[in-house]
Amino acid sequence: MAKTILGLSAFYHDSAAALVQGGEILAAAQEERFSRKKHDPRFPARAVNYCLEEAFVEASDLDAVVFYDNPLATFDRVVENSIAVGARGREQFVKAATSILGNKVWVNEHVRRALGTLGREGRVLFAEHHMAHAASAFYPSPFESAAVLTLDGVGEWATTSLGAGRGNHVELFSEIDYPHSLGLLYSAVTYFCGFKVNSGEYKLMGLAPYGEPRFYDVMREHLIDVRDDGSYRLDTSYFGYLDGMVMTNDRFAALFGGPAREGESRITRREMDLAASVQKLTEEIVLKTARHLRKVTGERNLVMAGGVALNCVANGKLVAEGIFDNVWIQPAAGDAGGALGAALLANHMYFGEPRAVDAKGRDKQKGSYLGPRYSSDEVRAFLDRHGYPYTRIEGLAERAAVVAGHLAEGKIVGWLAGRMEFGPRALGARSILGDPRNKETQSVMNLKIKFRESFRPFAPSVLRERCADYFDLQCESPYMLLIAPVCASRRIAMDDRAFREGDDDMLAVLHQARSDVPAVTHVDYSARIQTVDAETHPEYRALLEAFERATGCGMLVNTSFNVRGEPIVCTPSDAYRCFMRTEMDLLVLEDCLVWRREQPRFDDAENWKETYELD
Amino acid sequence: MSRQLFEYHPVIGYRFIPNLKARVPHEAGGYLVQTNEAGFRSNRAFTAARTPGKRRVLLFGDSFTAGDGVSNGRRYAEGLEARLRDAEVYNYGLSGTGTDQQFLAWREFAQGVEHDLVVVGVLVENVRRVTARYRRYLDASGHERTYAKPYYTLDGEALTLHQVPPRREPFEDHELPPEEREAVDRGGRFALLRQVVTAVGAKDVVQRLTRYQPVPDYDSATSPGWMLMRAVLAQWIRASQRPVMLMPLPLYQHIEETCDADGYQARFRELSADTGCLLHDPLPDLLRYPMAQRRAFRFATDVHPTPEGHEAIAASLAPAVERALAAISP
Repeated sequence: MAKTILGLSAFYHDSAAALVQGGEILAAAQEERFSRKKHDPRFPARAVNYCLEEAFVEASDLDAVVFYDNPLATFDRVVENSIAVGARGREQFVKAATSILGNKVWVNEHVRRALGTLGREGRVLFAEHHMAHAASAFYPSPFESAAVLTLDGVGEWATTSLGAGRGNHVELFSEIDYPHSLGLLYSAVTYFCGFKVNSGEYKLMGLAPYGEPRFYDVMREHLIDVRDDGSYRLDTSYFGYLDGMVMTNDRFAALFGGPAREGESRITRREMDLAASVQKLTEEIVLKTARHLRKVTGERNLVMAGGVALNCVANGKLVAEGIFDNVWIQPAAGDAGGALGAALLANHMYFGEPRAVDAKGRDKQKGSYLGPRYSSDEVRAFLDRHGYPYTRIEGLAERAAVVAGHLAEGKIVGWLAGRMEFGPRALGARSILGDPRNKETQSVMNLKIKFRESFRPFAPSVLRERCADYFDLQCESPYMLLIAPVCASRRIAMDDRAFREGDDDMLAVLHQARSDVPAVTHVDYSARIQTVDAETHPEYRALLEAFERATGCGMLVNTSFNVRGEPIVCTPSDAYRCFMRTEMDLLVLEDCLVWRREQPRFDDAENWKETYELD
Repeated sequence: MSRQLFEYHPVIGYRFIPNLKARVPHEAGGYLVQTNEAGFRSNRAFTAARTPGKRRVLLFGDSFTAGDGVSNGRRYAEGLEARLRDAEVYNYGLSGTGTDQQFLAWREFAQGVEHDLVVVGVLVENVRRVTARYRRYLDASGHERTYAKPYYTLDGEALTLHQVPPRREPFEDHELPPEEREAVDRGGRFALLRQVVTAVGAKDVVQRLTRYQPVPDYDSATSPGWMLMRAVLAQWIRASQRPVMLMPLPLYQHIEETCDADGYQARFRELSADTGCLLHDPLPDLLRYPMAQRRAFRFATDVHPTPEGHEAIAASLAPAVERALAAISP
């Protein structure tokens, strides 16, 4: 009989739950979406509730509950690390030990309290962290067999793992252990550049194209020894995470010309160049490791997970290099995806359930639309209860045409349609949308919607069959995990002489049109692409098609439906609140259109700019 | 939880959102709620025509009948259906309602539905809710808000319906005139004292020591609460084309014998005798269970029936319904 398995990740960052039945992924969601606390690390009670709701199963009918990490192995690493660093590491040891002994070893109790049961197994099963990542990458992939690469900060001991998956079996045969970690190196530079660890890494990646990798050689000489097979060792004397509460120390600062940048202060040429340097290093390690992995496994396919697998610039280069014929990356590559991996791992390797790949070559991630959906009945109940005016357009084609028409006029649209995305990217279920051709879109979205002045461009969603018209990308990118160049024919030359000659004003560069789709073109003429097919999200696809009919452009600007520091919206209520706090013009909640100009005054009881800690 | 369960209804005040699937977090872990297109907690659609070969029972009540705390399949309605021969039970239970609103639900939603018997599961506490014009409910952020409800007044023998449609928006405290504030149901007598006693975990002890009577309206046949409740039920019984069975559902204090049930039992017997309606009192059956088992009929803190409590009610009710159906059907 098909096994029903709940996977959990928690107590580090981005806690989540996932539910798998008979190997099919029925539900997965991050706790932050429900708790409204960004990167919420607490036990994912709300996400668990959602997963059971979606599958509509009683907790007592769960065959197993699986945690994504082995707390005792993690504690072993913490103890050994503290012995190695001695008294200097006391503060760090106390914090880590409190976290593990205070929460992680009591996972059984947390589950019992949340569910009222431990399921049929009568106990929580524990996966190994990198096995959970590997499982999250391999099992949903469209491949019968594949090489497996997981890269993150640290999980138990491992920071980088190499392996292979075949049929229903995954094995990891090689790993690099803490304190040597590419993820922690990237996070260290993120921290040093004034961004938050575990959330600001994508900003560092977006900053890199502004800089020159002038610190690359220094990094290679002092920080990291990289071998031909991609393995590496860090010189830990430059880092603070072993014996302190910060990522870097004075030696690191001395190497890069002074103390770390203060958060929210002006970004200087140094930070841009540090970003470019660590990005180059990351790409080098990923490519070398991939070549080695291809050689030792002989596999034509590669699957990836772990936080570093969210580095879509490195991913794009990996695909472009053609080391593997096919690459599939788990969209929830960070710790949240560990919940999904743990559940799949238990299904296939603990219970020994067989695995079948899709005959048409599709993956089993379902577009990563694995979160809750709110029906039209629920949307109208919400709007009616509060007396918010709206127009209902039941027909999808008519609704798409109306919304597309307003987008073509330069309106910014909040869009909630279908099941919420699992993973950090908004993929057209909880998105803010705009016209990519419009020069104003980027600044309006930044200043009036997201309340930031960002050096990062927005990402495009493009009709799959139109992708080649705009970008040099030879494969699909349904999860917005690949960066590719904008076609040369669409580019517009920039005047960046002043910037290259020393003026640090990134925004002067950013605000120049770089192509005929300026809102989605980065300063290096790249774009972070989502390709949209006809099957996965019919509503979003219909909107893109309608926009193309209206404008000739089969693409939209797609950014996550939130303001800075806020988790992506989940419910109609979250969406309405975010809509009213910003200057979006139109809110689409399933088949209901809500116009700002028609709404009553919004009495915001919450000072949200204080509620949401800036990321 | 991330889902809204109820939507505004212009006559009853609210109902479940139709076609909903939700899991409600609860002290016992959580329970699954499924509603049908009519907006009631049911895994099946309510069809107008009888299902061939099946007798049909329509069941009304509040959260005890709707099944707060338990999944659809574990309620006494489903237990009843499983025990009956060739019969189906349509559960119109609506959490938080008074008997007046349940009567309105019957008028609004059951008129065209063929059936053989109506069963009204009257939580005895409903005697207080019928006198209320406003009730306090938790909003999405967990704050208590005051909402208007439809209500009846008794003018001599005549019932007059008021506040239909009820105001959609909640009331701020200052919006209600002083005389109306008395008509807000705050969940029972001595609201503040109850909160304190519950907060310090002394609720059961205090109940035993004081033998607190939670529903004094039943002490007299002429109390305003009972007179109004009686009039609503009598009108319902008169208006129904099919036989009506009343089932007074006891509070846990009655089941655990920390307060006297004589008052409400006498009132319902009188009503049954006066109107000729069927009456099933499940309390004697429930009192046959050992005390430890009876305590398990409610949750640790939530007073709603556990699955075991629902089973016990179903086991008590089924023979009475079977007899009633046998008497009605050819």
